[in-house]
Amino acid sequence: MMADKKRKSKDGMAQSGKKDREFRNNKRKNLSYNKKNKKEDASEKRRRHGPRLPNALRKELDVFNRTVEGEPSDVDERIDSDDAVGNDVYEYEEGIAEEESKKNRRFDTVENYQYELPEDFQDSDVASDEGEDEDNIGYDNENGNEGRHTRMLEEITGLPSDVFGGRKKKDIIITEAYPESEYNPSSDILDGDGRISIQDLLDPLHGKSGFSKLRKNLQRMNKKSVPTLAPLPKPEQERLERKAAYEHSKKDITKWEPLVKRNREAPTLYFDEDVDLGFSTIGAIASEFEPRTDFEKKIASLVNQNEVVEAHKKDGARLLELNKISVEEVMDRQQRLAKMRSLLFRHEMKAKRVKKIKSKTYHRLLKKERRKTAEAALQMDPEAAKEHAMKQEFKRAEERMTLKHKNSSRWAKRILQRGLQVQDEATREAFGEQLSRHAALTRKINSVKESSSSDDSSDDYDSDDMLASPDGDAKSKLLMKAKEKTLKVLEGDEELPKSGVLSLPFMVRGLKKRKEAADEEAKLALEEYESSLKQLEDPSASGSCERGASSGMRVFGVPKRVVNETSKKVKSDNYYANSDSEDDVEAQEDIVIENNQNDKSLREADIDPSLLREEFEISHDSLFKSFQDAEDPETKTTYDVAFLASDSWKKMRGSSDASKQTEASNHVRKSEITVGPMKHDQSFEENDDDCDTDSGGEMVDGILSSGPKSTYELPSQAELILRAFAGDDVQEDFDKDKEAVLDEENPEPEKPVLLPGWGQWTDIQKKKGLPSWMLEEHEMAKKKRNESLKKRKDAHLSNVIISEKLDRKAEKLHTKTLPYPYTSKEVFEQSIRMPIGPEFNPATAIGALNRPEVVKKAGVIIKPIQYEDMNVRERAETHKHNGQRQRKAKDKNQSMRKKAAKV
Amino acid sequence: MKVKVISRSTDEFTRERSQDLQRVFRNFDPNLRTQEKAVEYVRALSAAKLDKIFARPFIGAMDGHIDAVSCMAKNPNHLKGIFSGSMDGDIRLWDLATRRTVCQFPGHQGAVRGLTVSTDGHVLVSCGTDSTVRLWNVPIPSLMASDDSSDNEAKPLAVYVWKNAFWAVDHQWDGELFATAGAQVDIWNHNRSQPVNSFEWGKDTTISVRFNPGEPNILATSASDRSITIYDLRLSSPARKIIMRTKTNSIAWNPMEPMNFTAANEDCNCYSYDARKLDEARCVHKDHVSAVMDIDYSPTGREFVTGSYDRTVRIFQYNGGHSREIYHTKRMQRVFCVKFSCDASYVISGSDDTNLRIWKAKASEQLGVLLPRERKKHEYLEAVKNRYKHLPEVKRIIRHRHLPKAIYKAASLRRIMTEAERKRTERRRAHSAPGSMPKEALRKRRIIKEVE
Repeated sequence: MMADKKRKSKDGMAQSGKKDREFRNNKRKNLSYNKKNKKEDASEKRRRHGPRLPNALRKELDVFNRTVEGEPSDVDERIDSDDAVGNDVYEYEEGIAEEESKKNRRFDTVENYQYELPEDFQDSDVASDEGEDEDNIGYDNENGNEGRHTRMLEEITGLPSDVFGGRKKKDIIITEAYPESEYNPSSDILDGDGRISIQDLLDPLHGKSGFSKLRKNLQRMNKKSVPTLAPLPKPEQERLERKAAYEHSKKDITKWEPLVKRNREAPTLYFDEDVDLGFSTIGAIASEFEPRTDFEKKIASLVNQNEVVEAHKKDGARLLELNKISVEEVMDRQQRLAKMRSLLFRHEMKAKRVKKIKSKTYHRLLKKERRKTAEAALQMDPEAAKEHAMKQEFKRAEERMTLKHKNSSRWAKRILQRGLQVQDEATREAFGEQLSRHAALTRKINSVKESSSSDDSSDDYDSDDMLASPDGDAKSKLLMKAKEKTLKVLEGDEELPKSGVLSLPFMVRGLKKRKEAADEEAKLALEEYESSLKQLEDPSASGSCERGASSGMRVFGVPKRVVNETSKKVKSDNYYANSDSEDDVEAQEDIVIENNQNDKSLREADIDPSLLREEFEISHDSLFKSFQDAEDPETKTTYDVAFLASDSWKKMRGSSDASKQTEASNHVRKSEITVGPMKHDQSFEENDDDCDTDSGGEMVDGILSSGPKSTYELPSQAELILRAFAGDDVQEDFDKDKEAVLDEENPEPEKPVLLPGWGQWTDIQKKKGLPSWMLEEHEMAKKKRNESLKKRKDAHLSNVIISEKLDRKAEKLHTKTLPYPYTSKEVFEQSIRMPIGPEFNPATAIGALNRPEVVKKAGVIIKPIQYEDMNVRERAETHKHNGQRQRKAKDKNQSMRKKAAKV
Repeated sequence: MKVKVISRSTDEFTRERSQDLQRVFRNFDPNLRTQEKAVEYVRALSAAKLDKIFARPFIGAMDGHIDAVSCMAKNPNHLKGIFSGSMDGDIRLWDLATRRTVCQFPGHQGAVRGLTVSTDGHVLVSCGTDSTVRLWNVPIPSLMASDDSSDNEAKPLAVYVWKNAFWAVDHQWDGELFATAGAQVDIWNHNRSQPVNSFEWGKDTTISVRFNPGEPNILATSASDRSITIYDLRLSSPARKIIMRTKTNSIAWNPMEPMNFTAANEDCNCYSYDARKLDEARCVHKDHVSAVMDIDYSPTGREFVTGSYDRTVRIFQYNGGHSREIYHTKRMQRVFCVKFSCDASYVISGSDDTNLRIWKAKASEQLGVLLPRERKKHEYLEAVKNRYKHLPEVKRIIRHRHLPKAIYKAASLRRIMTEAERKRTERRRAHSAPGSMPKEALRKRRIIKEVE
């Protein structure tokens, strides 16, 4: 009983599932028991060859051995059994043997023989013993003694007799009546094998179903019968558990690695992809529509009519029925439409016709009528009047704000710049008009009506002018107007000023002269107008008509001659006038005229090219100057009619220029020129035209074209440079400069000197000169300098100075250390080499170049990362050849700024 | 001979509408533009300056609490809503757009220490020092939520009373579990009045808990024994613990990198860890001058925001050792909780002065709808600035910040102290036997041990 308990505690079996395990244990124990038995056999045999003993002793030993056969660890059990044996047969001896077995040295060896098995094996041995016992329960008969004994036990403990069965069986096993006798067949078995083996138990089962399975199981258990270990302490257990859990979760979390790596290496992360805008479709929006206005409600009531809805719900065939319209209805509708259309058409036609009417009076009347109705409406309808007043007020305010009509427009500015006087009549008129308009608009309004009427009238005038001018008409009209104006000028005697500077006698004289000139010109112009008018009238002379029309611009062919003539005359008149400013121009003009007269001889004229060039430069110059003069804002009042002849208007301007400065400059020019024209009076001509207009380039061209004829040769570039820098030696200067720079950057070592009088006491000292160490030092310094000079970048470039001084300003364009993700200078410099701006890259590339690292949209919730299998994705992508993917890849290549961070 | 002629179809340069831009043709030959780099450098410089000029991060404050704001929770399903709990037991739902309280959740007897919202945004979980966990129904934000009934009061769905005070709570992503931190870590289900699981490893109080949003079964806690612990719910056991030299106040997992988390530590630094290699921190984020109280990752996973006891909010790059941005105002006191908004454009801070404050995540960002041209221009300036940020001038301007005097002084003092410490150890090392004082990186130095 005790042993049983002990074993159980040793086994450390858990409470649950105890029966199962016990059963298995039993089997295992039986097996091991078998083994053990065999070993016992062997040991017995060996014992026979052991130390020789006297027979009597041997007998005793035999008995004793049989009793001690169990094992020392299970002494108590044995004692029990021995007790039983003693009761039966060897009571006395047994007691002694028991005691001696521990004490007697002689038996120690024997014991060793018997029990070679390891400690833990013994455990199972014991168990097997017990198992055996239990197995044997059923077989054995009880002795009377046994019965009595159990009964006694029963009485004492109150437990059923079965409990003590184990002991009974053991008793049976050991209590052999005659262990030594050879007549007892069973005694051999019991003695030799000790117990019944599993094999014995299995034998009767042989041939029955499930036997082979059972045997296999047994064999397997036989092979690996490892003992169960004792459980670990709880903290230890928990630690292991945690470790396992950590390993597991670690492994699990590692699955994210490729995903995270990809995200980290991606130049851009996109988080703006799925945007959910509440309403997905128009239908969804429409479903929430509720009619609010009357119209909507009406429509809704129609749409939601029961009939219609029902028809909709059905196949819709009834909808067609509902849709039916009667013939009258259709006819009615058609008629109505036709009527409307015809009305529209008539109205259109009328409008067209009205628009076509050119009659000024008609339009004036029309306008008047319109105005009248408007005014009537104003009077009748206070609303309209108010509106009108508002409009006027707005216009006024606008005008005051923008000063649109106060000569601030580009057009007005340009005209002012050129001088109002040189403009044609119409322009001046328009100019005046806009000023008056400004005045009208900005005038403080007492009554709204007044200003409005004045506005209207001015409008009328404008539009009239603009409207009525088909080509021919306009020209003749213009001519007529010009003629009128000229006549006016001729007739109207200008009053000579009575006071001020202008009243000085010489000024008066000048004015008179000018007036005369103007008159002359006016007359000429008059003539011209007449002729051109005639030409215009003559229907056949369309060409001349054109000429007349184009006379405002450059003049070619016949008209040119006319112009020249006019100008010539003007010139001849003005030639000796004391308005000096025009002199240079006049000089040219002379030439022009003369050349016109005898322009055949041009080609033959032999010209010294260099002279010519000089002359040209001068004339050129002066011309431009005169233009500049002309551009000066002027304050003169003469009307010039010369707008037809380009030459003459320039001249007129020149003549009218009264500023002292220009005069002075012109004096200079005059003196210069005086030489020119004298020398080659007849010289240059064919391009009279050119020199009058402001194209200097052409003139030069003209000269150059005449070049091949001349003997002069242009010197080569090198020659020119040589000539230009004949005086100075650039090379030497540069060398000096370079030396200076080198000296500055790598200064020459100072020559060693002694303090005066130091070390010169004796002749010997003097002879010796400087101490050697000084010289050495000097030498060294020199060497060093030479080396550093050799190392310079410009050492082998004789024509270059490369300063190696650090530039403070450039310094801030460089980093002091290599920035973090980069590992080499080259890579970093490469990364910032290409510009990324829109000016330097095509529009298609900028997006990729400038894309930020994270693209997200405000207001879009970003969800945490979702797992996706990278391998699968990759495969799918390569199949797809997704454009975006490629783009991203390109990005990756381009941007070096990302370094794969450690994941 | 073939003569090449410039030919352009009129379609290429004719505008379709008068509003269209004139197409400009450019020759991109680099030889024609030799000054491009200089031009871009100047642009970068002026972009940096403009950034400084336009840096107005503070959007507004939301006041209404009558005690310090102790915790906040953002609604993962609704951008405008944010919950805040205060030390007096008041819980409020705010509308960020109007900056007003939408709803109040009265009931807690003591301070509210933890708030969290389920992923679908329907259930709010709160817990506090009164040992209760309360579940609330979140009012559904209707489109026309313009009713001025600011005194909306909600009733709790459920109140679960438990044995100990709670310090923090966090909800599992896409699940229906939530974890509370207190004397131990308890895992709760919405529908059970008792925790479905409890973990206890060591006897110290757990003060913060955070679920991993990427890996919903993993959670990390920090405890007052200066430890950070990782749990795995699938195996229903703790996994690993590290003990640092100072306490960790809060933990945030990187939502885009499920293996990484960052711990806001008492020693003014934040430590980014890889949950798989806990023996050293991945990165140490320095800059605060007092204990870091709370941390929250941007949903993009590229930066995180921290609130500190030094009365500032800072924004760090996920891999940057120093902060990118510092926010402070005169009236903001110690910051106890910070959150990044769900679209990563705003930062919300709750502080001791009972206010919640909204900040822009990018101080000089232009709010409102951007035209494509505007956006492109911004992108270009950003790119140019990014390219030349290493040059001294640009760097100086980008990094320059005006700091409150106290913080400036504290920072310089800290610098002096660390420098002195460094010098001392260096001298010690120089005067001891070679190899006897191995150098230890800061990333390892603050970790005492890793416990299995």
